[in-house]
Amino acid sequence: MERNDSKFTGGKRYKNNDITVYWKPSACVHASYCYRELIEVFDPSRRPWIDMNGSDTDKIIEIVNLCPTDALTWKWNDEARNDAVGNDQVNHIKFRRPDLMETKEIIEEAEPVSVKIMVDGPIVLKGNFSIAYSDISKDVQDGIISICRCGESDHQPFCDGRHRKIGFNG
Amino acid sequence: MAATGKSALMVNIAVMEEKKQNKTQAIIEVIDSGPLKISGNIFLKDMQRGTEDFPKEVYLCRCGKSDNKPFCDGSHKKK
Repeated sequence: MERNDSKFTGGKRYKNNDITVYWKPSACVHASYCYRELIEVFDPSRRPWIDMNGSDTDKIIEIVNLCPTDALTWKWNDEARNDAVGNDQVNHIKFRRPDLMETKEIIEEAEPVSVKIMVDGPIVLKGNFSIAYSDISKDVQDGIISICRCGESDHQPFCDGRHRKIGFNG
Repeated sequence: MAATGKSALMVNIAVMEEKKQNKTQAIIEVIDSGPLKISGNIFLKDMQRGTEDFPKEVYLCRCGKSDNKPFCDGSHKKK
């Protein structure tokens, strides 16, 4: 699972193995904590001006947290750690850029609808879905429905067990 | 009392969690005299052929005559 970085526009991302630092130049008020404290990483005269290999992760986090605006924010690359970050980490995206905390994977992360093709039997649908048949349309939540695959059910579109009697193979 | 940034975020997360759990993940359409169309977030497991996939959209045979089971191959139209 990854955070929805696509929401981050108008800036740049810098990564090391542990964290990502977001830079949003339009928010910078040139308080200059970053390069006064850690020029090895934050050097405005260099391109790219942030070098994530210039110091260790703890130091970079400490300095990013000094930024008085959301020009510099950060997150853990290990997404599981981001939700647990404490509010002492003032420039973590959770506090500065909650929009970046939203996950685009909300849908993908949600349990997919299970579609099982049973041996010589029906299609078994399980989960949260909407189904439309004839003129009926309904939402099913956490439900199970069997759809006929042999074509011989008397209860179409649902399975009525007929496949067994006719020796359906498929 | 106005919610602080943090508690507002917590509420947001709670709402997102709720949506995550209840949101419709797939749309299933029984096409009249045709296949079963399924689209969305689905996990397709074919017990007969031992295959698994996460397709975005599938048309599954409902007539029993397809030569490409479990998928529709248009055989339902042939008499």
